[in-house]
Amino acid sequence: MSRKTGRTLFWAVSLFICLAGFLMSLLTGPVRTTAGDLARLFQDPDPVLRAIIIDLRLSRAVLAFLVGAALALSGAILQGYFRNPMADPFVVGVSSGASLGAVVATALGFEAAAVGFSGPGLLAFLSGLTIVSLVYALSLRRGGFRVETLLLTGIAAGALASALTSFLLFMRSDSYEQAVFWLLGSFQIAEWSQVATIAPWFLACLLASVWLARDMDLLALGDETAQALGSPVRRVRKAFLAMSALLAALAVAVSGIIGFVGLVVPHWVRILIGPGHRPLFPAAALAGGTFLLYCDLLARNLLPAELPIGIITAAVGAPFFLYLLHKKR
Amino acid sequence: MRRAAPQPPLPALLVLAVIAAALPAASQVIPDDLGRPFPLPRATPERIVSMAPNITEILFALGLGGRIAGVTRFCDWPPEAKALPKIGGLVDANVEVIRSLDPDLVIAFRGNPLRLVGRVRKLGLPVFVLDIGGDLDALAPLIERIGRITRTESRAAGLVAATRTRLAAVEAALRGARSRPKVFVLLYGQGLWTCGGESYVDDLIARAGGVNAAAAMPKKWVLYKRERIIKDNPDVVFILARSPGDFASARDRLARMPGLDRVAALRTGRVYELDENAASRFGPRLVEVLERAASLLHPELSGGRT
Repeated sequence: MSRKTGRTLFWAVSLFICLAGFLMSLLTGPVRTTAGDLARLFQDPDPVLRAIIIDLRLSRAVLAFLVGAALALSGAILQGYFRNPMADPFVVGVSSGASLGAVVATALGFEAAAVGFSGPGLLAFLSGLTIVSLVYALSLRRGGFRVETLLLTGIAAGALASALTSFLLFMRSDSYEQAVFWLLGSFQIAEWSQVATIAPWFLACLLASVWLARDMDLLALGDETAQALGSPVRRVRKAFLAMSALLAALAVAVSGIIGFVGLVVPHWVRILIGPGHRPLFPAAALAGGTFLLYCDLLARNLLPAELPIGIITAAVGAPFFLYLLHKKR
Repeated sequence: MRRAAPQPPLPALLVLAVIAAALPAASQVIPDDLGRPFPLPRATPERIVSMAPNITEILFALGLGGRIAGVTRFCDWPPEAKALPKIGGLVDANVEVIRSLDPDLVIAFRGNPLRLVGRVRKLGLPVFVLDIGGDLDALAPLIERIGRITRTESRAAGLVAATRTRLAAVEAALRGARSRPKVFVLLYGQGLWTCGGESYVDDLIARAGGVNAAAAMPKKWVLYKRERIIKDNPDVVFILARSPGDFASARDRLARMPGLDRVAALRTGRVYELDENAASRFGPRLVEVLERAASLLHPELSGGRT
C-alpha cells in the first residue's frame, strides 16, 4: 500500500471513529436518552432535553475533543522540536507550571472569571506560559542555545512547580476535590464559554504549524543544515515553542493536567502516516481529539461516579504505547 | 424585616398586594451565603434538589419531604430520604442528573465545589448556597433561610422556636453544675481526628457543660497527636460512631495505644458513644446530641433533662 492511500485511509477511518464518538457522547450519560430523543431535538425542543444534550453533553464532547487535539498537537510540535519522541508538554514544564498557577489561585481564593477562564484557569494559563519563557531564558545563557539544556531546564523547573503544587494542596487538606481536578483532569464542568476560549487559539496554532511544517522537517536534519538550506532556525524554533506552550497551557487551564495524550498520540500517528510534519500536525490533532473524546466517554460512563480522565488516558495509553514500541522492534 | 413592621391599614395592604402581583418578586431578593442575589419564589417550590444531608434533613423537618426531587447519596435521614432519586455525592454531584430532575430550587452548601455549583447555576437553575455555622446559634438562621426560600416561613419559625426552647432547657439544667469535665472528641474514621475551636462541635461540648480538649486549635477539624491526649488527660472521651460495633472497636483502639491507659477517661471508663450520623450534620438533630452529651457529662443533673 502506498503512503498516499495509507494517509487517505487514516483520515477516513479517523473521521469515522471521531464522528461515532461524538454521536455516542450525545446519546450516553446518567440520564437515559435514545436516538429518537436526538431527532426530536430539532422538531420539538423540550428545554430539559435540550439543556442535557446541547448544553451539557455536546459542549463537553467538543471541549474534550479540542483539549485532546491541542495536547496532541503540542506534543507533535515538541517531539519535532527536540528531535526526540520522548518529548511532551510535561518536559518543558508547561503542564506543571499551569497546574501550580491554578492551585495558587485556589489557595488565594481568586475566583473571578475573565474571557471565558475561571480565576484558576486564567492563572494556570499565565503561569504555564511564564514557566516556559523562564525555562527558555535560562537555557539561553552565555549566548549559546542548546536543545539539551532546554530539555533539562524544563524538567527541573517542572519538578519544582510540581513540588510547590503538592505542598499547597497538602497544606489545604480540605481541597481534595480541587487537587484531583488539577492533577488528574476532568471535563465535568465543561461549558460553551470554555470552548469559545480555546477554539480560536487552537485553530490559529494548527494553521500556523501546518504553514511552518516544512521548516520543522528541515530541523530534523540538524540546525546547521536547516540554516544552510535557508530556514530561519532561531525564529522557527521560537514560534514552535510558543505555540506548544500556548496549546498546553490552554488545555490545562480548562481541564487540569491530562497526561499521556501529548506523548502517545503523535508517536502513534507518526508510525501510521510517516514523519512528514505537514500531514502529521493535523492528523495528530484529529487523533488526539478523538482519543480524548473516547477517554471522556469512559470517564463518565464506566462507574456511577465520574472518574478523573487522567486515570483513563494513562490506563489506556500506557499499555497501547508499550504494544506499539514492542511491535516496532 | 418587612414582617416586623407595624400593621398597615387594610386598603394599603390591598394596594401593596396588587403592586406585588404586578411586579413579580421585584422587591423579594435575598442574598445567599456567597452574597449572590436570589429572587424569592412566590410559592413553595415543587421540585427541590438538595445537595447536602443537613439540608435534606431540614427540608423534611419543614414538611417538604414530598417536594424533594433529588438528594445526595449521603442523605439517609430521615429514612424516607433514602428512597429519593440520587444526584451523586457532595463533591461529585452529576450536573446532568440535576438538570434532568428539572428542579425549581437547588439548595447547595459551601462544601460543594464552587465550580460545580456555578455550572448548575449557568444552566439557568435557581441555586441558593448555604454555609455551615461555627456554633449552634447558627442553626436558627440556617433553618429560617431555608424557610424563606421555600416559602415555609411559619413552619421554620416553629422549628426554630422548638430548637431554642430545648437549647435553653439544657442551659437551665446545667446552671447547677459545679464541674466542667475536659472532653476529647474522636471523630469517625481512621486516625485521631478531633474538632478544633472553630467547629460547631466545640460549641456543642461547651453547651453540654464540658471543655473541648482541642479548643485552642484554631481550626475546624484537627488531626491530633497521641502525646497531646496524654498531656490533656481528658475526663471524658466521646466517640462519634455509626454503630455499637464501630464504637467498641474505636474504644479498643484507643485503649490499646501505649500511654493512653493512664488517661482519666479510660481509667474511669468514661468513654461514650455519640451518634455520628446526627452529630456530623449541621441540622436539628444536633440538639438531641447536645442533650445526650450534657446528660453524660453531668449525670448528677440528669433530672433536668427535658
